[in-house]
Amino acid sequence: MTVLKTSMRNFFAHKGRMALSAVAVILSVAFVCGTLVFSDTMNTTFDKLFAATSADVTVTSKSATDPGDRPDTGKPESMPASVVERAQKARGAESAEGAVSSESVTVVDAEKKNVGPSNGGPTIAGNWTHNDLRSMDITSGHAPRGPTDVMIDADTADKHHLEIGDELRTIAVTGDHTAKISGIATFKVTNPGAAIVYFDTPTAQRELLGATGRFTHVNVTAEKGVSDAALKRDVAGAMGADASAYQVKTQQETSDDNRESVSGFLDVMKYAMLGFAGIAFLVGIFLIINTFSMLVAQRTREIGLMRAIGSSRKQVNRSVLVEALLLGVIGSVLGVGAGVGLAVGLMQLMSGVGMELSTQDLTVKWTTPVVGMVLGIVVTVLAAYLPARRAAKVSPMAALRDAGTPADGKASALRAVIGLVLTGAGAFGLYTASQADKASDGSLLLGGGVVLTLIGFVVIGPVLASGVVRVISAVLLRWFGPVGRMAERNALRNPRRTGATGAALMIGLALVACLSVVGSSMVASATDELDKSVGADFIIQSDNGQAITPKAAKSLEQADHIAHITQYKDIKADLTAPNGKTAKEVGLSAADATYAEDLRTETVAGTLADAYKPDSMSVGEDFAKDHGLSVGDKVKLAFDHGRTGELTVRAITSSETAIDSGAMYVNITTAAKYVPADRMPPNVIMFAKAAKGQQDAAYKSLKTAMADYPQYKVMDQTDFKQTLKDQVGQMLNMVYGLLGLAIIVAILGVVNTLALSVVERTREIGLMRAIGLSRRQLRRMIRMESVVIALFGALLGLGLGMGWGATAQKLLALEGLKVLEIPWATIITVFIGSAFVGLFAALVPAFRAGRMNVLNAIATE
Amino acid sequence: MAARARQVVKAYGSGETRVVALDEIDVDIARGQFTAIMGPSGSGKSTLMHCLAGLDTVSSGQIYLDETEITGLKDKKLTQLRRDRIGFIFQAFNLLPTLNAIENITLPMDIAGRKPDRGWLDQVVETVGLAGRLKHRPTELSGGQQQRVAVARALAARPEIIFGDEPTGNLDSRAGAEVLGFLRKSVTELGQTIVMVTHDPVAASYADRVLYLADGRIVDEMYSPTAESVLDRMKDFDARGRTS
Repeated sequence: MTVLKTSMRNFFAHKGRMALSAVAVILSVAFVCGTLVFSDTMNTTFDKLFAATSADVTVTSKSATDPGDRPDTGKPESMPASVVERAQKARGAESAEGAVSSESVTVVDAEKKNVGPSNGGPTIAGNWTHNDLRSMDITSGHAPRGPTDVMIDADTADKHHLEIGDELRTIAVTGDHTAKISGIATFKVTNPGAAIVYFDTPTAQRELLGATGRFTHVNVTAEKGVSDAALKRDVAGAMGADASAYQVKTQQETSDDNRESVSGFLDVMKYAMLGFAGIAFLVGIFLIINTFSMLVAQRTREIGLMRAIGSSRKQVNRSVLVEALLLGVIGSVLGVGAGVGLAVGLMQLMSGVGMELSTQDLTVKWTTPVVGMVLGIVVTVLAAYLPARRAAKVSPMAALRDAGTPADGKASALRAVIGLVLTGAGAFGLYTASQADKASDGSLLLGGGVVLTLIGFVVIGPVLASGVVRVISAVLLRWFGPVGRMAERNALRNPRRTGATGAALMIGLALVACLSVVGSSMVASATDELDKSVGADFIIQSDNGQAITPKAAKSLEQADHIAHITQYKDIKADLTAPNGKTAKEVGLSAADATYAEDLRTETVAGTLADAYKPDSMSVGEDFAKDHGLSVGDKVKLAFDHGRTGELTVRAITSSETAIDSGAMYVNITTAAKYVPADRMPPNVIMFAKAAKGQQDAAYKSLKTAMADYPQYKVMDQTDFKQTLKDQVGQMLNMVYGLLGLAIIVAILGVVNTLALSVVERTREIGLMRAIGLSRRQLRRMIRMESVVIALFGALLGLGLGMGWGATAQKLLALEGLKVLEIPWATIITVFIGSAFVGLFAALVPAFRAGRMNVLNAIATE
Repeated sequence: MAARARQVVKAYGSGETRVVALDEIDVDIARGQFTAIMGPSGSGKSTLMHCLAGLDTVSSGQIYLDETEITGLKDKKLTQLRRDRIGFIFQAFNLLPTLNAIENITLPMDIAGRKPDRGWLDQVVETVGLAGRLKHRPTELSGGQQQRVAVARALAARPEIIFGDEPTGNLDSRAGAEVLGFLRKSVTELGQTIVMVTHDPVAASYADRVLYLADGRIVDEMYSPTAESVLDRMKDFDARGRTS
């Protein structure tokens, strides 16, 4: 009981000193809980949406699977109207309604601006059915009645300031249709970010399916008292002879399938964010260890007294752990609360990029606070374990010794040996990884090397601290005379503390450095590859992943000043090698022969141009090896929805390329022999080469040809490189943002160390002030110490991270990441930024040291 | 006069809880003299020294260092004054653990950005007998050696006045005698002005003059004291204190 009491008293007596550790716990727990609440809320939103949009029973074509899985033909799979009649006749069916829905559309307004979501959400076009009334209300105007009417969802209308009477143009592979807005429909549930337009049934069929009297699915409503499952059975029975061509799903099954299609994305996001929360926790551990170590050191005399009057080691140990427990509990409780707030903030942030989520759907599962609490408490108590053990080792004699400053911790030789061994093993792992012949073999080594070098650096940090701090000080602090010298000595006096504080910063910055090296190497490699192998002057591609409609392709072909235009389609086939080995659903790149000039892929055997001869093809190096293929071999190809043919392998392409790695090329005319015209997909991308010397004119002409199609971008090589750079930059920025959390915790760690050091050095500071150190000099001394610690962490982190990045590049060189580019600008910015972080972290501790009362500091009892 | 106090009052708190530590004190510290301030605990002797040295502020009255009035000076000026014109020797914790002996000795000049006078520094180091230990950190020195470093630091900058707060309080009698011997020598031979707070009659006997404080007032003084005479006087006070 007394143990608990002293722990409580200690805890609350030093609540200020605990505050920063508590903030670290709060931040980490909040991030975990925020992520969980946010992703649960997204799930709830999608669940509600899909439950509202799915009919009791839905009939779809069997081959209509997830559009992401197969080449986008631009035309949804459809079924004849007779299916509706059959479903209608099923027992238990109150009504059945044919529906049309397509996501292969782009909707533009009168100013030729895409009104579809820019964040990857779908644009959906369909016919207005009774089923839609379950999830939407027409809030103004009326439903579409004829070919000139279109209805749009209210969110999209608001976002683009669309009103009734405005013109909307819907572009699909099968049609290009302009209509006036006749009505606006509002969702009854939250629409997370799809743009939806509705037509009357004949218009939807004609424009979206390119056929009359066909539907993409049938919505069947159950009679009262008939369960969905029973209805499903009956509808399936009513399909009759060709029942195997259709899929019949209950409302639950439809929602589940829809959920499946988004859950991949949601899960990736969730786990990525949890990963970053994990890093923040890791960094927080350093902060907590440091806090308790310093508190124990400052309390040595007190602990000695407790031991002298009869406390056991166990009791001392436990008293420290109880304090940690209190910290963990308080931090976690606040963290869980902050997490819910964070989730709401994230939702607001998402609405900024067009993903609407409603706080009404805010979902806090009971597991969320439990996970947050357990994690926060366990991590805190574990982190405090080492300092607690050290406290238990304090001898009763400590009570009798002079107070003074706590003994300065020296880095032990054992530590140096362990650190060196770990770092050495890690470095060896990294080296082996960089020499691996197969990326898959090396990745495990790379992972192991990263973890080992990180741990090694953490262990050896205190040993390195003395050397590195001296070097940094020699360069930086000698300009600051005795103040600089004292700052250096202070940073050096407890290497373990400096090491741990710097290590916390090291972790975040190592990741930043590593990713920036990989990112810029990616851009540099791709740019290099583009320069070397891309012969095309222009690339035409949509910005929302949609195919180029035949009409748009035609206008491109009519552009002036062009030497050639290359079509490029993705098709699928089952391939059988001469040795009998079969590969299912292999992706083939069907292109014009000019593609061999547009992308000069290197071959390891044969000539690339030969692959475009009739009934010829090329395969990738790895595929050829796996299937025992060599030039001249004949392979059997069963084309998707087409016939089977025999093609000759004329070229084997090298796998060491970043663009089109492993692609199999076949001429479009060859593909057309086996794939029926209505099954031939539209181009996913097109290439153009300008007539000699008419680059600019060609660029202008192509742009003019695409003026009517805002979703397609005409890029010359410069544009393309820039786009690539932007994409990589955007991704890196997002990752940096998330790593920011870990870095904030590390900065808190620096503040914490300094603040506690100032308290610990009260008497020293008083002495210096007494003999004439001015407040400004004192503050500068503390700032310098902080800068040195921050730069120490930055140096270690950046060095480590660049090593990781370079290894990753060497490893990925096998996958086309051939050029190593160290982004010096970023690295140096981060390094200088760390110095400012140090200055910033020292603000409050320096201010408090400056305000310290000289007399109290030097007073002898 | 090296330092003067005029009608100095130092009081803590207000109203009923008001405690007067210094009660309208007038003191003159003569240049080139070794002055000891004595008195029982709570007599205000440390407070007087802190005020004279510009470490503490007064409630009213004036304090002059040479002809400079230091009461009312801002912290920045006071700091400079302590740095350039005053030396300190405390009872304990005189040295920065991160600096070695010579760095500690030159610290006030380093802070000021002044170059120490090499010849003088050598002489001081020689006098306090520290040659050969200059590269040692404080933890590698004995208590007596540490105090000698502190004395050397106080002397090295050639301050107008040195204040000592029980400088030998933590030392055994031999080490204490050594330190006091140096202080005495610096006054006699170098003309240094020293003010020292102590409760040890032996320490006080090294001084030229002893001031006795009680209840925030100067109650007596004695020139050319010996340990016996100081002790006698103190017994005297004690006896009076008991009867009153």
